Amino acid sequence: MIRRLLAGVAVMWAAATAAYLALLLAPGDTVDILVGDGPDTPEIRAGIIAEWGLDRPEVVQYLAYLGRLLRGDLGRSYQSQRGVGEILAGQVWPTAQLTLAAAATGVALAGVIALVTAGRGRWSRTAASAAELVSVSVPPFLVGIVLLSVFSFTLGWFPVSGAAGPEALVLPALALGLPIAGVLGQVLRDGLERALEQPFAVTARARGLTERALVARHALRHALLPVVTLAGWFTGTLLGGAVITEVLFGRPGLGQVAMQAVTGGDLPVVMAVVLLSAVVYVTISTLLDLAYRVIDPRVRA
Amino acid sequence: MKRLTPLLLALALAACGTQTAPQGEQAASLTWAIETQPITLNPHQWSQNKARLLVFNQFDALVSRGKDGSFQPWPARSWKVSDDGLTYTFELRDDVKFHDGTAFDAAAVKANLDQFRVPDYNPAVASIQLGALDEVEAVASHTLKVKLKEPDGLFLDFLASPYGGQVSPRSLKTAKDLKFGGPDLVGTGPFILERYVQGQEIRYRRNPAYAWAPPGAGHQGPAYLSEVVYRFLPEAAVRVGALTSGQVQVIEGVPATEVKLIKSDPGLALQTALNSGTSFSYYFNVTHPPFDDQRVREAFREAVDVDAVLKAVYQGTATRAWSVVGAASPFYDASLERSFGGDTAKANALLDAAGWTERDAQGYRVKDGKRLSVRSVSSAPFVRDRRDVLAQAIQAQVKQSAGIDFQVKIVDQGTAQQAVADGAYEIFENSRGDSDVGAALNLILPRDGAINRSGYVDPRVDGWLDRASATLDQAERKKLYARVQRVVVTDKAVVFPIYVPADQIASRAGVRGLGFDPGSGTPRSAYDVRIGT
Repeated sequence: MIRRLLAGVAVMWAAATAAYLALLLAPGDTVDILVGDGPDTPEIRAGIIAEWGLDRPEVVQYLAYLGRLLRGDLGRSYQSQRGVGEILAGQVWPTAQLTLAAAATGVALAGVIALVTAGRGRWSRTAASAAELVSVSVPPFLVGIVLLSVFSFTLGWFPVSGAAGPEALVLPALALGLPIAGVLGQVLRDGLERALEQPFAVTARARGLTERALVARHALRHALLPVVTLAGWFTGTLLGGAVITEVLFGRPGLGQVAMQAVTGGDLPVVMAVVLLSAVVYVTISTLLDLAYRVIDPRVRA
Repeated sequence: MKRLTPLLLALALAACGTQTAPQGEQAASLTWAIETQPITLNPHQWSQNKARLLVFNQFDALVSRGKDGSFQPWPARSWKVSDDGLTYTFELRDDVKFHDGTAFDAAAVKANLDQFRVPDYNPAVASIQLGALDEVEAVASHTLKVKLKEPDGLFLDFLASPYGGQVSPRSLKTAKDLKFGGPDLVGTGPFILERYVQGQEIRYRRNPAYAWAPPGAGHQGPAYLSEVVYRFLPEAAVRVGALTSGQVQVIEGVPATEVKLIKSDPGLALQTALNSGTSFSYYFNVTHPPFDDQRVREAFREAVDVDAVLKAVYQGTATRAWSVVGAASPFYDASLERSFGGDTAKANALLDAAGWTERDAQGYRVKDGKRLSVRSVSSAPFVRDRRDVLAQAIQAQVKQSAGIDFQVKIVDQGTAQQAVADGAYEIFENSRGDSDVGAALNLILPRDGAINRSGYVDPRVDGWLDRASATLDQAERKKLYARVQRVVVTDKAVVFPIYVPADQIASRAGVRGLGFDPGSGTPRSAYDVRIGT
């Protein structure tokens, strides 16, 4: 456990450093970005350099940056001149809501489809995998637009924008969750079907267990292992997809903040989002490792 | 969809005007979907023309602009300018109050102007727009004297702009995030900022004490709406869908592709206004080949059939530009109309004469073994209005009609700035929304202009611009700016004006009082807006 923790810290340090280096190597210097499209005179430049301490050597700036991070100070946004921590604090909860709802939607849909279609007739299986294929291959932007025009603009069932209430969460969560349902559904069904062909399944059937009970009590546990491995992948998909979904639906959140920061060259915000993603990733993969132990007794042994 | 509209309209009106009954429109709430999020709510830090429509809900500028572009009172009741143009004496209204209850007086205006001198507050404005400011003195409780170091024809324009927005001196001291602003940075405007949620909305409630609307406003007294909510919906199709389904009552930023749909719907109304400031133009980099040769610059302009390109890209909704100055500006020189463009034969003759006579395998012109290539490098965050598509259409035209290789690069901000630093571009594309076009020209055309990316230097132009900035005589300014336009557009062909940027507002039938700011051509605040039949 200690080793995992240390590894996690190392990953975060690497993420912070990689983000710092990438932005250092990116074209255009910080002063240019801070000047932006505005007026540009030597006095303005000198003022900016003094204000942000950009005249120090890069190594010193890097160490100062790490030092601030350790103290939990994420710096100040170039664009809005507010504390980055404060900007992110207001945006974490809407994104958490969206990604959790999307993950729940994806997992629930995948589970239902896999349980209903695994080992059943060829037709239902084909139909389900076709639907899964579509949901995986259609870009989330398009899914979002289609959902909006049908359920919001035409039928008026759900509002388009904001994080006003649970009903405003339905469409974004669906748009973000569908691709996950597609992939997970396929993996889960394959796992179930493989488990149902194992010798233990034959034994269980011989004991008189119904097919339903066999799936629920025995096969599901086997099929879950690859799904849990995939959960690491879908954390990334969710965080990435949140950018598009939040902008499209006009929702507050980290994705939308990241988008604004990247296009505006707002380095402190970009770095903070990268770091936060790394933290989430490390946390989730640690939790998943623990989940393996619960699901698969062989790992514990 | 069409059959649904009346029903949806009924629903929308029911939803937004629940309190419509006895007092009529007095207590209504309105939702307005906008494209761009403000990067600051402090008017002194304002920089986005697309966010200008928010500023004057919360703040009043010191003076206002009438429909004819003239300066009119606002919290400043009247003013006098000394004969040498160096001293401005303002008489202020004595009944104006900030949202935090403090009184608006001469000391408050002085505090606002002095705030710009705080180092790092807004160095750009301090050194450019307020570069001539010498001294501010509160002579009496409601009399203010401003001394300038040199005459500045743009000073009143500055005071009428968002930078002239009057902020409560108390909140200038106490605001938690001074540069960003927020509910604790207050003004005297018709609405009070209630809540800002990044990525979602900004919410204002009516200022019931408001009794100092500018003379150009549609009414006096408090605003009609009890509440106005601006929702951020960056995706154009989503804004239009939210409007047609009645989830919002007003949208701004209507893409050309949706104009037809909105016009054909009787339940919706569309208004358009040309922006003030400069036209969207290509500026030729005259510091190196091939555009150091005027014949090549003219040939590029002649090689493009601008009308056809605009029709294809904007479906006939764009207004062609003929000068670097936009057609909405009082300084626009209409005599430049139809003076260039669309003559393929002339373009080819000019290029032949300039020595670009050979052709390579792809059909591009070649001189001394070098292809006739020109590059435009633009920063993705500043590309809007389908200007990328426009550039591609122009690219196809100049290739086909004159064998010019026009390379269009849309990159991140850092890369774009690198290209500018290295001079690795031949075309610089830009439009500016300054309410007085002189402010924009001062940045783009003089030798030391902050965004003079064409590298064109002409002492005559610098002189005319200086003189025009120093005088308050509008007729004289018009004459001087006409000379500038003639030189850069016709005589030297440094600029290729393409179209005049415009703003659109679409609304549901029943929403009244929407309109455009006469100074900037951008949508007005929500002060005059009401819901009624």
